[in-house]
Amino acid sequence: MEDYIYTTPRPVIYYDAESCGNAIQCLKCVQACLDTGHNLIGFMNTDSPPIGENAPGRLEDIHHMIIFSGMINCNGCKKCVDACPKKALTLEMPEQRSPSPKVQRADTVFCVINRDGSVTIPRD
Amino acid sequence: MCKYCVEYGNGTKWYLNPDNYRDEIYKAEGHENTVRMLGGAEKNTFEVGTMAQIDIMLPDLNYANTLSMALENMTAHGGQIVPLEDALKIIDLCQEPFVLMHCACRRYFGRPDVLRCLFFWPVADMALKERPWETDTKLLTREEAKAFERECDRTGFLHSIWHAGVNSDGIPAIVMCHCTSTDCIPTKFRLSYGIMNSQRKGEYVSVVDPVRCKQGCKEIPLCMQRCQFGAMRYNPIDRVQYIDPQACYGCGLCRAACSQGAIKLTDRSSFPSLVDNW
Repeated sequence: MEDYIYTTPRPVIYYDAESCGNAIQCLKCVQACLDTGHNLIGFMNTDSPPIGENAPGRLEDIHHMIIFSGMINCNGCKKCVDACPKKALTLEMPEQRSPSPKVQRADTVFCVINRDGSVTIPRD
Repeated sequence: MCKYCVEYGNGTKWYLNPDNYRDEIYKAEGHENTVRMLGGAEKNTFEVGTMAQIDIMLPDLNYANTLSMALENMTAHGGQIVPLEDALKIIDLCQEPFVLMHCACRRYFGRPDVLRCLFFWPVADMALKERPWETDTKLLTREEAKAFERECDRTGFLHSIWHAGVNSDGIPAIVMCHCTSTDCIPTKFRLSYGIMNSQRKGEYVSVVDPVRCKQGCKEIPLCMQRCQFGAMRYNPIDRVQYIDPQACYGCGLCRAACSQGAIKLTDRSSFPSLVDNW
């Protein structure tokens, strides 16, 4: 019998770092998501900056990439996708399904009756 | 007292135990990596990088345990809400200087810079040397740090004390943050996903005195705006505020907003049912 694996469905965002380039020069998707109130898009240094004499003097001197945090709260409005001038974002919505109970025991058909016909708790 | 206090408080709360502010504990195994990650050039890779992993590490919203454990064991960093008086006591336990810098959750998610992270002395040198691009970072004296705490309390920013890992030698306190449930990611992690280790409830709960409350504001009270946790409720029949002890995090921001002095903080332990509710 297979274990039923449950995952909370959420939109998936694909980020093309090459098309984007250095995110800190743009950040339009960050602003777009902030403007909707969701605030799920952030930016982060692509690599940890060097220490010592090569340490960057300004935040803008550090190469950044876009990151996404908390896609659970994304409703797929696509304002981020629309805002990107380099077309670096793609949003994929999860499959639509109706609400369903979470399967806790894959071997049980209904209440106490198992798939093989045996009964977990006798009714009499 | 919470589990941390019982085991690492030596008779008081863990964050009021001077042992957790010893110079050597910040350099000890189980803590020094977190101190270095927060103090040095890898800070954003560490902090923002953790935030970027949230969806991968939380496949099922109903079971946040994996992420909770990962926070405790891998990042060795977690927070607890404290009210103003405990925040001021913590400031007294620290050496000078304090490092006031921007909050990563706000800056790197598009908000204008707000200086809301008050780091303690073990990271001061490292932060200034290794992150020269943070040109708005300030060093504060003890008195300036306390004034900052009072201002945060007045304007509705949660005080939270963060540690650099739980190990057998103790729990070093490394930074005081000033959070909101809307844009602080660890607070959101706790409230939305139930990730316990990202933000623990405080050692207190707030209680409203209905008699004093009734003498008070006739319009929508400021305390309603201040509660980030949904614990502050309005009772339209009695026309007073009510705080749900099960939901209250004991931050005391409602108390700061009450013009009638109708809100008091009491020990969480004064409600027997809250013994495990952190």
